[in-house]
Amino acid sequence: MDRREARSILSLHRADEPVNDERLAQAKELAAKDPELARWWAEDQEIDDAIATQLAAVSVPADLKARLTSRAKPLATPQSRWRRPALLAVAAIVVLAVFFGLWKGPLKPAASLADYRAEMVRFFSVWQPLDLETNNLTDINRFLAKSGAPSGFDIPQPLRDLEPVGCTKLRFRGEDVAVICFKRGNGKLAHLFVINRKAIHGLGPSPNFANQGNWATAAWARGDCDYLLTVQGDQREAAKLIGNS
Amino acid sequence: MIDFNGLVDSFYTALYRFALSLSRRESDAADLVQQTFYIWALKGHQLRDESKVKTWLFMTLYREFLARRRHDDRFIDLIDGDTRLIDAPHLSPAAVDALDAATVQEALHQLDARYRAPLTLFYMQQHSYREIADILSIPLGTVMSRISRGKAELRKALENSIEYDARKVVHMERRQVHG
Repeated sequence: MDRREARSILSLHRADEPVNDERLAQAKELAAKDPELARWWAEDQEIDDAIATQLAAVSVPADLKARLTSRAKPLATPQSRWRRPALLAVAAIVVLAVFFGLWKGPLKPAASLADYRAEMVRFFSVWQPLDLETNNLTDINRFLAKSGAPSGFDIPQPLRDLEPVGCTKLRFRGEDVAVICFKRGNGKLAHLFVINRKAIHGLGPSPNFANQGNWATAAWARGDCDYLLTVQGDQREAAKLIGNS
Repeated sequence: MIDFNGLVDSFYTALYRFALSLSRRESDAADLVQQTFYIWALKGHQLRDESKVKTWLFMTLYREFLARRRHDDRFIDLIDGDTRLIDAPHLSPAAVDALDAATVQEALHQLDARYRAPLTLFYMQQHSYREIADILSIPLGTVMSRISRGKAELRKALENSIEYDARKVVHMERRQVHG
């Protein structure tokens, strides 16, 4: 075994790891006799530790745990309960599906507008790649339809007059969200989020305006969809773009 | 019997970080974690060996990710026959000092998904190679070679990301344009 081969093996293992492989044993033996190789291995592990430390520092959404644990506690179900009548099992699955966002029927609980708005604004608060970059609204509609996201929805005329940049598909609580981005001038954009109307609680046809950080938002319902527009600026900008100024 | 809150508490952050490295989007990652615990709610009782819970959760999340990607026709994970290990270049001390979570995450996202998944699990330092092979349903030798090659790719990406300020400027400009 030469030094290069030893490096490629040692790089995948830690010094304190038990030896259970002949090639690793040979590589470790070589490192024990070769100070330069031993130094290289120590440095390699320091780099890996630094990367691992930073990966462990990637932030997790503050509300994620609450979203997971505030639902039903289905896991306490002992195995014997599954032997109960089939109707009970079906009922349990429906309850779980409702709570975990998979149920597509009328019983699905709607999320609050505040949660939805906060999550959508957070998504675009850092730069995100779009699934499709194009200034052709027909192509955008076709792409969204193919991806299974809401499509063919009603876009307010002032927004339609802007040049589209592209679109992307997101997921929110188990529902697809269509996002179309438009150029507003001055290098700024407007983002239109469209989701199935049943997904958000309490939205009506009259626009609901709110600020979320630096973003002005307008939300309203029309037809089968809930709409959310986000723009950087004040609420007049949002109102103008939905034809409500 | 496994306590649900305890299970969430033990694994949700690691599952989320794994999901984020796969999906690249916070909303998709949170959705994958939620879906994983939902599937656990339906099928977890079938798991007889409680010591396999961690592997089961990560495997379920990964399969859910693959199912969604295949649905979108974007990702096919071919098992390559090349199991050679390579000698990954070292980062400069300056690059190691400049590492932060965002840079590591961004560099990981530049990698092909077939390297990104095993490499993320490797850097989580919670899984043996055998467990990573089980989670990803690929042979052990393939796991080793993908981690080996993935490490080399990741270090190149990190070195480039930290070394070339111009790249960061371009990135910032894109962010501004998008705001």
